[in-house]
Amino acid sequence: MGSEPQVVEEARESQRTPLLSARNLARIFHLGGQTIHALEPLNLDIQRGDFIAIAGPSGSGKSTLLQLLGLIDSPTSGEVRVQNRAAHGLGGEQRAALRLKTLGFVFQAFNLLQMLTARQNVEIALALAGWPRRKRRARAKELLESVGLGERLEHRPLQLSGGERQRVAIARAMANDPDVILADEPTGNLDSQTGREIVQLLEDLNRAGQTIVMVTHNLEIARRAGRLFLMRDGRMREVDPSDPRALD
Amino acid sequence: MLTLAIQQLLTKKLRSALTVLGFGVCVNLYIVVTTVMRFITDDLDLQIQRFTGVLFVQSRGLAGMSGIEWPPISSTISNAEARAVLSQPAVDPERSTKVTFASLAPPPYPTAPPEALLVGIELGKEDVFLGGAEAAAGRVDFPQPNGTNVAPPAILGVLAARHFASAATATTEVPSPVGPIALAALGSTISVRGHEFEVQGIIDPETNQLLRSAVLVPLESAQTVLQTPDAVSAMLLSPKRASDIEPLQSLIESDHAELMVISDKQLAENARKLLDRVNQLFNVVRWTSVSVAALLIAIVMFVSVLERTRELGTLRAIGAPRRALLSLILSESAGFALVGSMVGVPMSRVVIRQALGPDAAGLRSKQIEYGAAGILSLCSMLAAVMPAWRAVQVDPIIALRYE
Repeated sequence: MGSEPQVVEEARESQRTPLLSARNLARIFHLGGQTIHALEPLNLDIQRGDFIAIAGPSGSGKSTLLQLLGLIDSPTSGEVRVQNRAAHGLGGEQRAALRLKTLGFVFQAFNLLQMLTARQNVEIALALAGWPRRKRRARAKELLESVGLGERLEHRPLQLSGGERQRVAIARAMANDPDVILADEPTGNLDSQTGREIVQLLEDLNRAGQTIVMVTHNLEIARRAGRLFLMRDGRMREVDPSDPRALD
Repeated sequence: MLTLAIQQLLTKKLRSALTVLGFGVCVNLYIVVTTVMRFITDDLDLQIQRFTGVLFVQSRGLAGMSGIEWPPISSTISNAEARAVLSQPAVDPERSTKVTFASLAPPPYPTAPPEALLVGIELGKEDVFLGGAEAAAGRVDFPQPNGTNVAPPAILGVLAARHFASAATATTEVPSPVGPIALAALGSTISVRGHEFEVQGIIDPETNQLLRSAVLVPLESAQTVLQTPDAVSAMLLSPKRASDIEPLQSLIESDHAELMVISDKQLAENARKLLDRVNQLFNVVRWTSVSVAALLIAIVMFVSVLERTRELGTLRAIGAPRRALLSLILSESAGFALVGSMVGVPMSRVVIRQALGPDAAGLRSKQIEYGAAGILSLCSMLAAVMPAWRAVQVDPIIALRYE
């Protein structure tokens, strides 16, 4: 047991340590004899409570960056650190375990399992993490209620609207209380009104303390994030989201 | 993952139903063939056991495909020659007899005797052929002629009694695995090739196929029916001493070149060769059913994995370990195997009852049923390992790439 000042200092240190960070992260693809620099070496620190938007046109490298941060892809050089632990060199199963426990994914096309109900879709993530059946039922219900789908628990994805499906996907992403939610174009398949509602939901989650990294090509939505990064041709720069000239 | 596996099976209803049905048919085929194999093997063993210590004498010439025709329907031996053989000093006259065989109906399956087999045997020698079999009804020995008999006596096996039921003057119903069946009744009259016989007894069906098929009549009556008053088909010889069996065999064969003398051991060996050939064929059918079941599951699971690449990629992306996907695919295969077995086992009971009729009594074996379900399920699970391995190789990037 440490003394009270020591505990406080450790807590502060923990607050300062990035949840997720990229160091000289680069990704090169070799396709048909061509070398494509999808991501030039970049650095990024994601702190607890951040709401980060990564914006840019198609092919700018934003999805590649999200895949690398999400430990779905491996970098050509550089490294991703999760809570200051290098993910470099981890095997497929260790990376899967990290994704399960510390990261939540929201996909553009929702990627819900069509044959399962909304509740079962959320329960899947809990089951993978070893939650007992009764507890996961209660947890799934609670999560779906928190995203406004308390009345749609037993509906299948095809019985839900696009916005509702994305809410189920967000509930699934939050299931295991992840450190960071990675959202890849979460409004890409939605009309503008529904898209705004989904971003509002993400903002609410962020205000409640959830760290969020969102990739989008929609600058209007991107501007609502706390930190904004613009990407072009694999290069990334941070801009002030409140500065209207920054997006020119 | 179990929920996901069950939901997958329920979502693809038609595919699941057809796969289950296909697997069930394979289980059914395996059980039916194995049951028939066991039935035939056991029955031939029982037939041979009844003739332990007995020599079969039949003519050479029209021998069966395995060298020895059983029963020797096409064999012909003159009465004179038969008498000469029976007069050998080593022959026990009380336990030896001339026999005449004739087919009255085709066999119900390969290796079986005719469904109705006329067996003419000397009066008082019935037990040489029956080998201690008892009566299910009536008697199993011929009554002495007393001048009041309207027709000569006949003792019927249960298959023969069923065969003659439609033409008998009276019938009786007995329970069987396929429901009540009609048999020629005791005291009724049956017609064998235009000659009437009075049914005096029904042989206990818990014997063997030869006795179940028998229409046992006095030898002279059989010779009259067959219009061969001077010939018989074969002889059943019992030596006075067990040690005389081989010398007697050699003696008869040296004195009667046209006769073939078969010991119980040769009969058993011959039966074994015949069984081996039949079982080879049955084994081809059995292993074909196993292969088809395994291929069916492998193909269905491969298609399922290919269709669900994105779903599997999503599961990997959200953190599913490889073993979870492995167990997902194997659970689905196990589901097909389990439900398929639940369909196949009852199906086989119906098929066996319909195919073997009254012979199906006591044939159902839980050992064969569980064994078949187990073997086919195991092979199918092994076949599902390949698609399952394919599933765990799905790259989680797939989940994002589709967008």
